[in-house]
Amino acid sequence: MAKKILIIEDEKTLRFLLAQSLIAAGFQVEEAVDGEEGIKKMKENKPDLVLLDLILPTMHGFDVLIKIKKDPFLESVPVMILSNLGQKEEVDKGLELGAVDFLIKAHFSLDEIIEKVKKTLSSY
Amino acid sequence: MKNDIFPKKIISPDEALVVINYLSDGLIVFNEQKKLSFINLFAQKIFGVDDRVLGIDIEEMVNFSGLKEVFFLLGKEINELNRKELEINKKMILEVSSFPLFKESRKIGYLVILHDVTREKSIEKMKTDFVSLSAHQLRTPLSSINWALDTLLKERLGKLNESQKTLLEQAKESNQRMLALVRDLLDVVKIEEGKYLGKLVPSDFLKIVQDVIKNYQEEIKKKEIKFQLQLTSNKIPKINIDQEKIYSVVQNLIDNALRYSFAGGMIIVSINTDENNLIFSVSDSGIGIPKEDQNNIFNKFFRSSNATRLETEGNGLGLFVSKNIIEAHGGKIWFESEENQGSTFYFTLPLK
Repeated sequence: MAKKILIIEDEKTLRFLLAQSLIAAGFQVEEAVDGEEGIKKMKENKPDLVLLDLILPTMHGFDVLIKIKKDPFLESVPVMILSNLGQKEEVDKGLELGAVDFLIKAHFSLDEIIEKVKKTLSSY
Repeated sequence: MKNDIFPKKIISPDEALVVINYLSDGLIVFNEQKKLSFINLFAQKIFGVDDRVLGIDIEEMVNFSGLKEVFFLLGKEINELNRKELEINKKMILEVSSFPLFKESRKIGYLVILHDVTREKSIEKMKTDFVSLSAHQLRTPLSSINWALDTLLKERLGKLNESQKTLLEQAKESNQRMLALVRDLLDVVKIEEGKYLGKLVPSDFLKIVQDVIKNYQEEIKKKEIKFQLQLTSNKIPKINIDQEKIYSVVQNLIDNALRYSFAGGMIIVSINTDENNLIFSVSDSGIGIPKEDQNNIFNKFFRSSNATRLETEGNGLGLFVSKNIIEAHGGKIWFESEENQGSTFYFTLPLK
């Protein structure tokens, strides 16, 4: 069965482009525009991996990550941060909070992101 | 004679004291026994003390909140300092200079000058924050464009004809350059914030160089460049570096060599070691750097006149960033160049 990816990203275009390529790569995709919607969707239909933006409208991505990692039901889902922040402090904090990877959007092509997603899923 | 140069009425000691008290720099004087013998009004204000501190021994400064920081910086021997930065109570930044005072070659004490740079520092920080914020803001639309072009070029939304493809490829290339510029701007900011290097890990330098070269194979072939990698020592020890940063320096130097070489030219990359250092160099037979530009080549945003003519792209940050990276590792970077003959860029990295 196709693996399920949840994208939590407020930018419509980025979300659309990410979803497009994930679908083309054979994944099943769910989308959420902010952290609250993201967590709600995770609970309804647990994904195999989450792509999480950091600067989100209501709740900061780090707070979303903390919530996920505190929830015994969701805690095991790997979360990859996909953000345009990328100062050392931010990367360190993201990994410390339990993200499996921290990708800077501007530095990765869609193909490279798909590769990272596949690689992460294969090790879970 | 003297009266021709100095005002008719020479300033009296009392008046001189007033002047010194109202200077907008803080002054502290210690006598030869390292006892505090003078502190002007400005310095008293900074530290919230009055002239009751006169006569205290330098080591007693630890009993006063702000003066304590100055003491830690000076040490009990009163080190000579040249504009060392010191933060006082989290709200003021001083540049501290200190040196011994001599009168007719006899040491009579020590002078400490405290220059308030709080405002300059806060402006610097505002500038840094501004660049950092705008760079981050720029990245989001640029990533959108990048990914959109990717998606179109992959023909996920429909087939493209050749000219559409070419045009989109050019657009993607321009966008990539823009992303690189934003990254370089962020690098500049980080350098200026003084927190540039990441974790230093023992690394295989040769592997880094080989990786960079691998990425340029196609261009080397296209330009028909005779390319050589020379190793003089058969074993290069692992060195402690920030791999990503050193990679970008090597890449920058090789990229420059290729970019500013003519087709059919020659590039020699070499790695040497001596007792203390690893020495890396990239030598090209390219356009070289004109004499009059040689002093500026490591400056931010500088591009030499012949480089700009040959290659309109380039943001003038590569060598500036490289220099900072190498120096942050405790190494040196320099070059030899002759216009129309070529350039050789060198850098060293300490082995230990």
